[in-house]
Amino acid sequence: MGFFLQQLMNGLILGSFYALIALGYTMVFGVLKLLNFAHGDIYMVGGFVGLLILKLGSSWLGSGWLGVVVALFGSAALVGALGMLIERVAYRPLRQAPRLSVLITALAASMVLNSAVLALTGGRPVAFPADLGFVGYDLGPIHISVIQMALLVSTLILMLVLELFVSRTQYGRAMRAVSYDMVASRLMGIDVSQIVSLTFFLGSALAAIGGVFAGSYYGSLHFFMGFIMGLKAFTAAVIGGIGSIPGAMLGGLTLGLLETFGSSIPFIGSEWRDVAVFGALIFFLVLKPTGILGKTMVERI
Amino acid sequence: MRSGTTKTLALVAVFSSMASFAAAADTIKIGFVAPITGAAASFGKETVGAVRMVVAKTNAGGGVLGEKIVLVETDDACDPTQGTAAASKLVSSGVIAVVGGMCSGAVVPALKIYGDAHVPFVIVAANSTKIVAANPGNAFLVNSTGDAQTLTAMTLFAQKGIKTLAVVDEGDAFSADLSAIAQTQFKASGGKVVDAETTAKGEQDFSALVTRITAAKADAVYWTAYQDGGALLVKQLRRSGYQGLIALSDGSNAPDLFTVVGSAVNGAYVFGPTPLKDLPRGAAFSADFAAATGDAPGNYSALAYDAAEVLLDAIKAAGTTEGEAIVKALKGTRYEGIAGPIAFTEKNTLVGSNFIALVAHGGALSVPQK
Repeated sequence: MGFFLQQLMNGLILGSFYALIALGYTMVFGVLKLLNFAHGDIYMVGGFVGLLILKLGSSWLGSGWLGVVVALFGSAALVGALGMLIERVAYRPLRQAPRLSVLITALAASMVLNSAVLALTGGRPVAFPADLGFVGYDLGPIHISVIQMALLVSTLILMLVLELFVSRTQYGRAMRAVSYDMVASRLMGIDVSQIVSLTFFLGSALAAIGGVFAGSYYGSLHFFMGFIMGLKAFTAAVIGGIGSIPGAMLGGLTLGLLETFGSSIPFIGSEWRDVAVFGALIFFLVLKPTGILGKTMVERI
Repeated sequence: MRSGTTKTLALVAVFSSMASFAAAADTIKIGFVAPITGAAASFGKETVGAVRMVVAKTNAGGGVLGEKIVLVETDDACDPTQGTAAASKLVSSGVIAVVGGMCSGAVVPALKIYGDAHVPFVIVAANSTKIVAANPGNAFLVNSTGDAQTLTAMTLFAQKGIKTLAVVDEGDAFSADLSAIAQTQFKASGGKVVDAETTAKGEQDFSALVTRITAAKADAVYWTAYQDGGALLVKQLRRSGYQGLIALSDGSNAPDLFTVVGSAVNGAYVFGPTPLKDLPRGAAFSADFAAATGDAPGNYSALAYDAAEVLLDAIKAAGTTEGEAIVKALKGTRYEGIAGPIAFTEKNTLVGSNFIALVAHGGALSVPQK
């Protein structure tokens, strides 16, 4: 029982990371129908920007919670701006181009970020300069640390705030309008470019928050860490229903649990973990391409 | 089939004519291959500096066979696909011999390319037994193989009274091979392998397998792969309260282990060559390396230096740039290197073992106190 609960906890933590990244994937896809393959790398850059903030401000931020919270907000703001810049430079000029061209540009953007961080770090893993320890509470057989709780709760809150933002505010309404019909939205006086920029800002900021959490939770950052995360968050977004915000959350948690328990099946080694993950992706693409919460989209001609 | 053979023959003809072409010029081209990019990039950095030192020193002394050496550097990114591409690039650029090779995964598929082109290959650190099996005869290993490392590991486990073992690898040629050998030998010595795990490269979250290892009550955990994953595993194991012995393969023998894990790594064992500070000529080499590259040497810098020296000595001894003559000269190597003595067995592997069990303490690895 203790084993089961501990694995459940492990799966939820892993799933929260997937959910944070999947939210950005799903938003950009919802608005632009673009798979932003650079998103995993934005998560990675987010972690490194947080690290930089902590290093520069080490004298007054320290290595505790204050530093991490400042790094979370700082990195979210800066990397959100980076997301807007990437959209402006790499995607906007191609808005009328065939979908495939944008997809390739997205891959290029991913490589640019990846290689830049590789060049800056020399490919070495870098220790994250915040140590929150692993103190927490013992709930029966399992131990929940404060940072694990913070991660779970923040992911949930961010998802709710984002959902409310999209469904209740004027900007959210504009975002939904753009996702339905870009041309009509423009005719109605919506500044489409501004809305797209906003989408990228929010998505990238969430990924950056994920990156800073990863740094403080795992203790190190690596230029390559965005790659697998990007793939899995994409899978999470598809499983949850790409374009849907609660879907991204649900997909992330589902994937985290699937991965944790998929590797714990007796007699099947942990090398099958990714088979479980990407097998689920294929399963959903074939049998329910809209995902758990996705709506069927009508292709407009 | 027929046309395939003709093509191969034609390719070999092209390559050998290139080799003679290079020899006719005023320089001798030597290839260097290592991960310059990717997760294992630090291995490339610490070895290329050492090889450049040897080349610079030799060129200052008049070169080899009266000609200057040009080092052609390529990147295998520790990846099989890129390893093959790097090997083809080196062969087609007309190198007469190659030194380098840190990751077995990248080295194994490259062996045939060098073999077909008759290019001798001195392998610095890659040491999977698969290299020995696939060696066409022109590759030489200056690092002990997985078998030797596993014997060192088994001795340590026996000393510490380890009865149950968990082995974790990363699914690549090097770590999967090491894991398989370790499991077989541990079982043969009467122990029980309670858990065998495989993770994916670049994965950060090991919580699921940490929970399984703890539940399986393993006396010791043996990580057979590289330091980036090893650092995360050690940290997550200790954080979950795991009290047993942790041992890491020579793939994790890198300074990053300490910067990333911090004090949690204290008490863990890492297998590897004797550290520079414990070698007679180590201090002098560290100073030279720092002067030449501006960096502190890594754990494989000295071995890379020795490998390059062994290769150049063999070219001098052969008196020609012709591949087969160099291979013959390499077989007769008797070299007293900075990292240790180098001589080769019938299978072109290192005579004896250069591995010892080192213990991590206070930010460095040292020879454990008896």
